[in-house]
Amino acid sequence: MTDAMNDAIKTYTAEHDDVDIVPVYASSSTLSRQIANGAPTVLFISANQKWMDWLEDEDVAVQQRINLLQNRLALIAPADEADGDFTPGETGELESLLDDGERLAVGDPDHVPAGIYAKQALKQLGEWEALEPRLARANDVRSALVLVARGETPAGVVYQTDAEASDGVTTLGLFPLDTHAPIVYPTALISTEDSDAQDNPDAAAFRAWLEGSEAMAIFADHGFASALENDVSKDNDS
Amino acid sequence: MLSPAEWDAIQLSMRIALSAVGWILLPGIAIAWLLARREFRGKALLDGIVHLPLVLPPVVIGYLLLVSLGRRGFIGQWLHEVAGISLPFTWQGAAVASGVMAFPLFVRAVRLSLEAVDPKLEAAAHTLGAGRWRIFFTITLPLSLPGLLTGTMLAFARALSEFGATITFASNIPGETRTLPLALYTLIQSPGQEAAAARLCVISVVIAMASLVASEWLARSARLRTRERDG
Repeated sequence: MTDAMNDAIKTYTAEHDDVDIVPVYASSSTLSRQIANGAPTVLFISANQKWMDWLEDEDVAVQQRINLLQNRLALIAPADEADGDFTPGETGELESLLDDGERLAVGDPDHVPAGIYAKQALKQLGEWEALEPRLARANDVRSALVLVARGETPAGVVYQTDAEASDGVTTLGLFPLDTHAPIVYPTALISTEDSDAQDNPDAAAFRAWLEGSEAMAIFADHGFASALENDVSKDNDS
Repeated sequence: MLSPAEWDAIQLSMRIALSAVGWILLPGIAIAWLLARREFRGKALLDGIVHLPLVLPPVVIGYLLLVSLGRRGFIGQWLHEVAGISLPFTWQGAAVASGVMAFPLFVRAVRLSLEAVDPKLEAAAHTLGAGRWRIFFTITLPLSLPGLLTGTMLAFARALSEFGATITFASNIPGETRTLPLALYTLIQSPGQEAAAARLCVISVVIAMASLVASEWLARSARLRTRERDG
């Protein structure tokens, strides 16, 4: 998301030189807690529904919430070790990719969204019991990517977008869409006591631009798909 | 009173912190002695390297450990092939990471107390016929005991609280490398876990205070003993 958003902001500010956008990148959980504690924010793009729901529960003014982007889960291997394709649920069991003592790199399924989706998918495939004790739990999805790229683990589960961003890994296959909840990125304007984001023309304009074709083309370059057309309601998230 | 997961994290933290302190004792004393008593080429460089974990972000240290001791690291590859040892994702790896982070604190404390030992006492022992090692173990080491104890407790506390290098190098695996700070971090990252996080906060504070009080008490009784003997 960081690379894609940086590109989008660069393009947007090049066209609107009177607008200054200050992006803040961190995990959805960190950002949510900062916002709930009053960090000045006008627009929030979360990597999962749960934290946006949590903000609403915390009585933060979350306005005009939509799902902007969607992503897929990819099974990856170190680029120099990748051997053929491997589609989870079709080719065979993921455990067959791991030798004795080897682990599967994932974002920590206890709190990292990518890891939570991976846990859903592994459960759906009936492999969770066998693989849970063999996970290398990284504190974010990019750290899981690094573990695979450095060859610490022979395989890992990350977002398709992360897999495409790294030269050190190869995508063996994508997890079937029906094995996990839709990976969508809810986006909303955030108002605080001092500022109403809906009255902020710059925020509204940037938000509208993000939904347009120019921004979507940038996101597509980074492997994201638009979630606007098949807007999945938040009930689908577990 | 404590849940199994909490108990797991406490035991693991203790085991990792004790092992970390255990492996840095000898190299720590040796390097502190070199820095306190010897002049040699590259002394400033050695001093700098020892202090790196104190000034670099812990995540950087964790990444450097991964690059050097990981499965494809220049040391890790050798360890794996020759000895069958693989450090990432193991509690031993977490002990290495915590030890590296605690190392400069230990060396600083020991070096200061070694420098405070009067060289005339050692010279006197030498004229009375004591050998180098005997002087070290009967004069130098006992006289620097307060610093040694302080250094050990500081290192223990630092190892107990180590987070960044551990999560980067050894990952966050329940029962293997999920120590107190990592367990606390995991809870803070999950919505609705505030109460469980608060419990771990209290546990961490209690353990940290206990080790600081113990360190004060040990250092004071060591000082008293030295004074009694001198007086």
